[in-house]
Amino acid sequence: MIKLVLSSVRHNLGRYLATLVAIVAGVGFYTAVSVISDGVIDSLEGNIDDQYGNVDVAVVPDEADVVEQTGAQPEPLKVPQAAADQLAALPGVDGSAGILTAPVAFEGSDGKPFATSATGRLWITDADLNPLSVVTGDAPDAAGEVAVDQGLADDEKLKVGAELTLLTLAGPQQVELVGITEFGDSDALDTGGTVSLSEQDAFNWLNSGKQEYESFYLRASGSADDVVAAAGKATPDGFAVESGDEFRDDQREANGSFAQTLKTALQAFAVLALLVGGFVIFNTFSVIVAQRLRELAVLAAIGATPRQLKRSLRLEGLVLGLLGSVLGVVAGYLLTLALQGILALTGNELPGGISFRSANLVSGLFLGTVITVLSVMIPARRAGRTEPIEAMRAAATESADLGRARAVTALVLAALGLLGMLAGSGLATIGAGAVAFVASVFVGAPYLARVGARAARPLLERFGIEGRLAVDNSVRSPKRTATTANALLIGVFLVTLVAVAGASIRDFAIQQVNDVQSADYVVVSQGGTIDPDFVSQLKDVKDVNDVVAFERAPVTIDGAAATVSAGDVAEMAKIANLEVDKGDLADLADGTIAVLDTGDGKAPNVGGTVTVTDSRGKDAELKVVAVLAPTQDTGQTGSILDQASFDSLVGDVAPTIAFVDVASGAQGETKDAIEDLADQRPDITAQEGNALGQLIRTVFDFLIKAVTGLLLMSVLIALIGIVNTMSLSILERRRELGLLRIIGMTDKRVRRMVTLESVLIALLGTLGGMVTGLVVSLLLVLSFNRLSDATITPSIPWVELVAIMVLGVLLGVLAALLPARRSTRMEVLDAISAG
Amino acid sequence: MTSPTEVRTRSAAARAIEARKTYGEGEAAVHALAGVTVDFPEHEFTAIMGPSGSGKSTLMQCVAGLDRLTSGAAFIGDTDISKLNKTELTLLRRDRLGFIFQQYNLIPSLTARENILLPLTLAGTKADQAWFDEIVRTVGLQERLGNLPSQLSGGQQQRVAVARALVPKPDIIFADEPTGALDSRTGTEILSFMRRAVDDTGQTIVMVTHDPHAASYANRVLFLADGQIVDEMDNPTSDRVLDRMKRFEG
Repeated sequence: MIKLVLSSVRHNLGRYLATLVAIVAGVGFYTAVSVISDGVIDSLEGNIDDQYGNVDVAVVPDEADVVEQTGAQPEPLKVPQAAADQLAALPGVDGSAGILTAPVAFEGSDGKPFATSATGRLWITDADLNPLSVVTGDAPDAAGEVAVDQGLADDEKLKVGAELTLLTLAGPQQVELVGITEFGDSDALDTGGTVSLSEQDAFNWLNSGKQEYESFYLRASGSADDVVAAAGKATPDGFAVESGDEFRDDQREANGSFAQTLKTALQAFAVLALLVGGFVIFNTFSVIVAQRLRELAVLAAIGATPRQLKRSLRLEGLVLGLLGSVLGVVAGYLLTLALQGILALTGNELPGGISFRSANLVSGLFLGTVITVLSVMIPARRAGRTEPIEAMRAAATESADLGRARAVTALVLAALGLLGMLAGSGLATIGAGAVAFVASVFVGAPYLARVGARAARPLLERFGIEGRLAVDNSVRSPKRTATTANALLIGVFLVTLVAVAGASIRDFAIQQVNDVQSADYVVVSQGGTIDPDFVSQLKDVKDVNDVVAFERAPVTIDGAAATVSAGDVAEMAKIANLEVDKGDLADLADGTIAVLDTGDGKAPNVGGTVTVTDSRGKDAELKVVAVLAPTQDTGQTGSILDQASFDSLVGDVAPTIAFVDVASGAQGETKDAIEDLADQRPDITAQEGNALGQLIRTVFDFLIKAVTGLLLMSVLIALIGIVNTMSLSILERRRELGLLRIIGMTDKRVRRMVTLESVLIALLGTLGGMVTGLVVSLLLVLSFNRLSDATITPSIPWVELVAIMVLGVLLGVLAALLPARRSTRMEVLDAISAG
Repeated sequence: MTSPTEVRTRSAAARAIEARKTYGEGEAAVHALAGVTVDFPEHEFTAIMGPSGSGKSTLMQCVAGLDRLTSGAAFIGDTDISKLNKTELTLLRRDRLGFIFQQYNLIPSLTARENILLPLTLAGTKADQAWFDEIVRTVGLQERLGNLPSQLSGGQQQRVAVARALVPKPDIIFADEPTGALDSRTGTEILSFMRRAVDDTGQTIVMVTHDPHAASYANRVLFLADGQIVDEMDNPTSDRVLDRMKRFEG
C-alpha cells in the first residue's frame, strides 16, 4: 500500500503540491499567530507571578485600576507609616513590604545625565516579598548606598564601589554603588532601569521626606484570609485590601486587558487559517479521488478491499499532513521574523519578541496533521465506495436531478442560520447560525449553480451558440458545477468576510485606538513644576506646535480618591483627547466641574452635584456640567475644574503637567530633543502618547493582510479545481466537441466555449462567495452590536469587492487555458470515433 | 489495377485523385487507401461498400475533409481541400457539407429544432422557413421540434440528423453507416428520406455502408478492397449487391 501511495503522490505531483501549499500556509499562519500572541501577552501582562508571587495581602489605592489602565500617575494617595506599622503588626503577618517609587537618573562625570527613565525604588528588606535579588555586592541598607540592575550596570559599565551622582526630586545626591540586582530571568524590574535605595534615602529623595508607601504588601504565616479580614480594619480610607490572587489578577488585567482582546482576535485568525487549509485539502482530495476513480475501480476490481482503498488515501493524507506541518512550522517562524522586520522598518518593536516554545511547535505539527487527515476522511470514504464497474464506464454520468431532500435541507439550514444570527443570544448561537447559513449555501449550491447559470444565459448568448452551449453544459451537471464553484466560493466567502467584517472591525478598532489617541507627549513633573521657562524651551524644539501646561492636584470626589486639573481647557482640548460623554466643557464656570467617568458606573450625571475634598480637608460642592470619557489624556487630567473653583479649593499652585503637540510626521529628532529636555530635569518625564495604539494598529493591519494573502492562496488553489473539472468535462464530452467541430464550429470557438464555461463557474463561485460573505459579515456585525454596547458600523469595501469580482473572471479565463487547448488538440475523427 | 474513370455527363460534386493514405512506415506500413481516383457526381446518391479494413470510411473521411491524405488530392467542387488549413476546412464543412453518422449525431443540450439549425446558427445565417418546414414535414418531426435528444427515439434522433444535413442545402452530404444503429423498419425510413432528397431536390449524397439493403437505395455502388476500388455497380438491388459481396468473401 505504501508503494501505491508513493507512486500516486509522484503521479499527481502538481495537485499534491497545491495541497501541500494549503497545509503549509495554514500551519504557518497558526504558528506565527501563536508565537506573536504569546510574546504580546507576556509583555503586556508582565511577569506578574514573579513580581508579586509571595504577596498574600496587598493594600493598594482604591483607584489603582484606573491609574494603571490610563497610564497616568496623578500622585495617588499613599499609605502613611503609622498605618503601615499597624498592618505589619497584625497577627499572622510574617513579613511586610512598602512600595515607594519615583523617577531618578544619574549624572555622568561630564555633566550629562544617563539612565534618564530609571525608577528609584525603596529596597524591600523582606527577601520573599522583594522581587529583586542581589547578584553582586550587597543590598543598599545604609544612607547613600544604592544598587542598580544588571542591565543598567552592563549598559553604563557601572561597577560596585563606584561613586555616582544620583539626580532625584530632592536634587543631586552623591551615592555609592554597593550592589547589582536582577529581576527573575530578566535584568530589570522597570523598563528604564531600577535603582534601589535604602529606606531613609527613599523617603527623602523619592517622597519629599514623608514616610509613606504607594502600596503595602503583607506575607501571611498562616491563613491569608484572616490577614485580609484583619487588614481591612487597619486600612486607611481610599485604600482597598486584596488577597494575593485578587491583586495579581488585577495587575494582570490592568496590564493585559488589551492583550486579551488581541489574543482572542489572533486566535480567531489562527483557527480561520486552519479551517481554510482544511477546506482546500478536502477539495483537492475530492478532485483527486474523482480523477482517479478509474484507477481506484481497477484496484477494486482486482481485489482491493474498500478498507484498503480508504487506507491508501488516508495514508496519503498523513504523509502530506506531516510534511506540510513541518514546513508550516518553519514557515510560521519565518513569518514572525518577517513581521518583526516590517515592524522594525516602521520603528516599532514586536512586544515580547520571538520566543521559541516547544508547545507552539508541537501544537502546529499536531493540528496540521490532524486537520489534513480529517479533511481526507470524506474523500477517502468516497474512494472506499468505488465499485469495480466504474472502471468500465466511460465516465460517471451525473444526473441533473437534485432530489427534494437536498432542497429541504438547504432551506431549513438557511432559515436556522438566519434565525441564529438575527436572534441568537450568545456568541455560540450566532456562530452556529453563521455556520448553518454557510452550510446551507454549500448544500444548496447545485440549485444556485443552476439558477445562476440560467440567469447568466442571456448575457452569454451574446457570445453566440458557444455561450449558449457553455451555459447548457454547466447546467447539465449542476452538482459538479457546484462542487467546482464551491472551492472558489469558500475562498471568496472568507476573503469577503475578512474584508467586510475585518474592515468593520478595523474601523471600530481605529475608533477605539482614537479613544486611546492622545496628546503626542505628556511631560509630567513629579515633585517639581512645569515652569514657563521649561514650556518655552519645549516650544523652541523643532516641530513642536504647542505646549499647554496645567495645574493638577489629588483630591477625593464624593469620598473616592481622584485627581482634578485646571488650566486653559479650550487649548488643552485642541491638542489632547478630552472626550466628553455628556454635557459640554464650554459650560465650565465658577462652581462647576467636568467629572471623569472612571467606568465604575458611579459617575454622576450632568446637573448633579459632587463634593470635592482636597488633601487638607477643605471641600466644595460643585455642579456637574460635563462627564469626561476615560481616555489616556483624561487619565492625566482627571476631572477638570474651572480655574476659579480650583484656586479657591486647592490654592494657586504652579502647573505640574503639560500636553505637547508636535507636527504630524515629526521625526525622531523631535522626540530626542523633547526627551533630552526632560532628562535635564530629574523630576520631569516625557511620555509618548498612544505608542501602544500605533503598534496594535500595525500588527492588526499586518494580520489582516496576511489572512487575506492566505485566503487568496486558497482562491488560487480553487483555480486548480476549475482546471481539473473542465479537463474532466472535456474528456467526457469529446464526442460532442468532435461533432461540433465536424459540422462547422471552428477551434477558436470551441476554445471560447470552454473558456466561457470556466468563467461562468468562476463567476458563480465568486458571486456566491461574495454574497454569502456580505450577508454573514453584515449579520455578524449587527449581532455583535446587538450583544455588546459597541456600535460597529458595517463598512463595505466596494473597491476590494469589485477587484475580487474581476479576479474571479480572470481566474476563470486562466483556468480555461489548459482545458481549452486540450479541447481542440484531439483530431476530430478520433474524438468522434473514440471508445 | 485501375479504377474505372468513366466520363459522366454530370460534373463532380467531389472527387479524389490518386488518393493514398498510409499509416506507419517501411515494412509495417499499412495502406488504407492505395491510390484511389473517383468522382462523386452531382445530384447522385453514391454508396461505398467493402469489407472491414477496405478503406471505405477512410475514403469518405478524406474527401469530406475530416482526415488528410498522405498523397494525392481531394476536391469538393473545384476546391482542393488538401490546400486548406484547419479553420478553412472547418468553414468548408460548415458551409458546404452535411454529415450523418451512425450515432452521437446530436448535441444533447439542444432541442431538435436547435440541432437541425445548428450549422446555420454556427454560420450566423437564417434558415429558409418554407424549406425548413418542408424538410421537417418530410421527416415527420413537426411535433418533436421542442424535444431534447434524450426525449427522442433512436429513429427520431436519426431523422433530426438527416434534417440537420438537409436544411442548409449543402453541396454534398456524407453519411457514415446512417442506419447501422437502427432497426430495419426505421432504417428503411431514413434511407427513403435520403433517396427522396436526391430525387426531389437534387441533393448529392455519399454513403458508406456494409448493408446491401442500404446500398440498394443508391444510384451507384463503389466496391472497395485493400484500399482500392475493385468494382462498381449502377442501379443496384439488394440481391445483386449481396452476390457481389459474396464474391469478395469467397
